[in-house]
Amino acid sequence: MFAAQFDYVRAKTLDEALSLLAQNEDAKILAGGHSLIPAMKLRLAQPPLLIDIGRISDLAYVREDGGQIRIGAMTTHYQIESSDLLKRICPLLPQCAAAIGDVQVRNKGTIGGSLAHSDPAGDWPAAIIALNAEMVAASRNGERTIKADDFFVDLLTTALEPGEILREIRINRSNGRTGQAYTKMHHPASGFAVVGVAANLSLDADGSCQKANIGITGVSSKAYRAAAAEAGLNGSKLDEQTIASAASHATDGVDANGDLFASADYRRHLAEVYVRRAIAGAMKSVPPA
Amino acid sequence: MKIEGTQELHAPRERVYAALTDPQVLQRCIPGCESLEKTGNDSYAVTIKAGIGAIKGTFKGNVRLEDMRAPEHYRIVVDGKGGPGFVKGSGDFDLEDTGGAALIRYSGELQVGGAIAGIGQRMIEGAAKMMAARFFKALETEAKDSQP
Repeated sequence: MFAAQFDYVRAKTLDEALSLLAQNEDAKILAGGHSLIPAMKLRLAQPPLLIDIGRISDLAYVREDGGQIRIGAMTTHYQIESSDLLKRICPLLPQCAAAIGDVQVRNKGTIGGSLAHSDPAGDWPAAIIALNAEMVAASRNGERTIKADDFFVDLLTTALEPGEILREIRINRSNGRTGQAYTKMHHPASGFAVVGVAANLSLDADGSCQKANIGITGVSSKAYRAAAAEAGLNGSKLDEQTIASAASHATDGVDANGDLFASADYRRHLAEVYVRRAIAGAMKSVPPA
Repeated sequence: MKIEGTQELHAPRERVYAALTDPQVLQRCIPGCESLEKTGNDSYAVTIKAGIGAIKGTFKGNVRLEDMRAPEHYRIVVDGKGGPGFVKGSGDFDLEDTGGAALIRYSGELQVGGAIAGIGQRMIEGAAKMMAARFFKALETEAKDSQP
């Protein structure tokens, strides 16, 4: 289907985009267009105006600044997947990027667009939660930061207010011995995560788990932190039994959703299995002491 | 798709039942309800502008209440059509008195078709739960406020 008629403005700067957004309440921000455009072609979304920020080149970057990783919202999945800096200091991000959709999606889709859309089966939200990232939201009144745990509010709903644009993602670089991994079950048709689990572990010198961070996507209406599973790992030696018992709490207190492809029960089961795999993967990636 | 759940509202059961069957209250509580007009005994024509994130659509349809046994039970039958697809379904509401509060058990069958079912299939259940939560939250406020 063709999209319904709409106006289109290509913003040259973030300021221009913000003032256009302030003047047009129903306008939508266009980033890579890999969620919004399909919805528009099915006329599920009919915004009267698209404000394209995808070509604002100073919103696409990956850099390290005083122990903090900063990623511009318009950085594509592929740019993250292929970043040597990130492969070295935060391998979870390139690994997660590589698991998204297909080559075309990764070349066009952006991390900021994906996070702001907050698809319940999107891959980035799980990684962002596991990394305790902060989102920098810009508006005409200035900027504020939103913690990953507060950012995802509900289905397709984030803490971004009308008039705000996600500008940057910030992640504190981890010190010491850490291991990270992202594992997912791909939906065979769409490539979305039926279930996706991101694990980010900090280990003590003796190999026990100091702090586990686990983000899960695909199970519920929004990505979430598997707090009960984390609690089962914190302070423990990560043997098989500890991991299995922690993983069995992967969906505690979570309202799992079902669809034609996977029932809620099946998703809960997958979450447990993929938490185990993500922890095992993260442990493998820990550098030797 | 099956929709079922329970919801406790902190208001007396009679008030909750009255609110659940009062067209004016419903219009205020149904997320995005633009109009709700009486077309007959316990049947209404509704227009709902529903939107979650970028996904928005206007639905027009009919709602009929059946098998009304105040203050404990009624059945709702809906069918609607809109840009993004169609919805059709029915559900039972049972209200239980839990000492000053009302426990609502709802269970129903909903059919969704058209574009919204194609692209949105994996999100329909989440969307239904989100709308239900918004509805009950608004309803609780209404039922409380209507107390003498």
